[in-house]
Amino acid sequence: MPNRDLDGNAPDYWKQKLDELAKRRADALEMGGIKNVQRQHDAGRLTIRERIDAISDTASFREIGSLAGTGEYDDNLEFKKLVPSTYVAGTGRINGRPVAIGGEDFTVRGGTSSGAQRRKGGQGGYIEDLAHHYKMPLINLIDGAGGSVTSAKRRGFVVFPGVDGFERSVELLGEVPVVSAVLGTAAGGPAGRAILSHFSVMVEGSSQIFAAGPPVVKRSLGQIITKEELGGPNVAVNKAGAIHNIASTEHDAFAQIRTFLSFMPQNVWELPPMLELNDPLDRCEDALLNMVPEKRTQPYDMREIIKLIVDKGSYFEIRSTYGKAIITALVRLGGKPVGIIANNPKIYGGAMDADAARKQIHFMELCDTFHIPLVFLVDVPGFMVGLKAESEGTLREGMRAVYVAGQLKIPTITVVIRKCYGMAGMATCNKKDIDLKLAWPSGEWGSLPVEGGVAAAFRRDIASADDPKVREKELEQEFREYSSPFRTAEALAVEEIIDPRETRPILCEYIALAEKRLKIGLGQRSRSGVAP
Amino acid sequence: MVIREVTSEVIGSVWKIERSVGDAVEEGDLIMILESMKMEIPVEAPVAGTLSEIKVVAEGSVEEDQVLCLIET
Repeated sequence: MPNRDLDGNAPDYWKQKLDELAKRRADALEMGGIKNVQRQHDAGRLTIRERIDAISDTASFREIGSLAGTGEYDDNLEFKKLVPSTYVAGTGRINGRPVAIGGEDFTVRGGTSSGAQRRKGGQGGYIEDLAHHYKMPLINLIDGAGGSVTSAKRRGFVVFPGVDGFERSVELLGEVPVVSAVLGTAAGGPAGRAILSHFSVMVEGSSQIFAAGPPVVKRSLGQIITKEELGGPNVAVNKAGAIHNIASTEHDAFAQIRTFLSFMPQNVWELPPMLELNDPLDRCEDALLNMVPEKRTQPYDMREIIKLIVDKGSYFEIRSTYGKAIITALVRLGGKPVGIIANNPKIYGGAMDADAARKQIHFMELCDTFHIPLVFLVDVPGFMVGLKAESEGTLREGMRAVYVAGQLKIPTITVVIRKCYGMAGMATCNKKDIDLKLAWPSGEWGSLPVEGGVAAAFRRDIASADDPKVREKELEQEFREYSSPFRTAEALAVEEIIDPRETRPILCEYIALAEKRLKIGLGQRSRSGVAP
Repeated sequence: MVIREVTSEVIGSVWKIERSVGDAVEEGDLIMILESMKMEIPVEAPVAGTLSEIKVVAEGSVEEDQVLCLIET
């Protein structure tokens, strides 16, 4: 071999090496080939590389593991072609801050798990280690159905469940923000991965999620159902609450994720980011005076109240179509991230049902984990009543909300807008600590409402009266006098009754003061005990 | 012509029906008021159109997701 040196290297050694590197990289960028990419686009979906470009800051993506895949070689063992792995991963920036980002490449074997030596993404994948060790948010762009039976043939054996387990995924939930976008049909592992997120979103019309898809359902139960009926947003978001938000397009999903992350710290050891919105702290809105109707039986628009109070343009609602008796939103007050939990009087007068309780619990834990103070805007008549509510576990889920509320370490501020009754009311405030309880003059509270309460406590008195109905009204009137919020303020059992217009200035003041408390409390939350 | 179903978000009863079949409605117009959890729950037109059918009666009970009326757009 005259053209080779003593090591056997060709004189154009570096050129050859770099050419092969370039060729392998170029192959990786082609993903599953022109036809498969076209098919992905025809289905109204972007490729994983387009998705990463769309969600991250321009040109900020740096790929890791780009050469992973299956090499094809000729008879002389010369490299011919690389079929890239089914997952694309790397680091990027969102709003200038680093993130770990990755997703299945559906154009390569439908994004099924690769069977490589080391997993790139999904549960137990390299991307999760990256987020864990560098303490940065993780973004999962999910478009795959997990394992394929065909991989057993390739390996020669079947894997034991949990070989690539969820341990790291679980660990991350206490460390860094984890967000998932479901961008295709997700089942099995990727579906589970999506659930283990702080925030998840799916695209209307082009994505579905379930534990198992229609073929398995047909085989197991004999039911014939489409994948959209089984796991489209109407089930997965509105009914099950499995995924948090619906997006109209993939770009909308990415915008929602970017907005969500703008409220989040990089990890639990840092404070959430300040963003000056130039909305005056002392802005007092006269419109707040007309929001609560005089008639106690009439609902009003709680979302309007929230928007009048918080920094303009900062309102980001999570799970607006699930557990609708509660409204959960990330907002800013004086530029600082704040979580809002508000009852929605338009749905069962704001009564807490099982779904609403689950929604409140998730949101409380989210804010507590990332050191985001909570503001409760309260109008809750109690737990939801009736056979349906009892059957759905309202009492247990509601008490779980009380339990989690009782363990919160972040500052919470309670503003009673109208009703605050019973055990559901207890899930909205920390009664004996330093956290503020404020009330509008329209506020009323108690362990149970006067109506019904009087009828139960004075049953014999009422029954023996000449006119029971008149007697009941008399008693109700008498007890209503005691329920004036001003009488409670006399006992400092609420710290302040405020003019509704003052709500923003007072909240801004206390959220600013909360910073020192938040700093001292930075780090991971440890939870103990057995939740009911 | 599209028929839009207006459904109940709550379990409860029909308190008052404010509009009649054949009425033209604008988006946001009050059609009926339900009663649930001692609260008045307004049912508003989700779209503009003609109220083509009312499927409940005053004082009758309603279930969650029950169709209350139809609007032709």
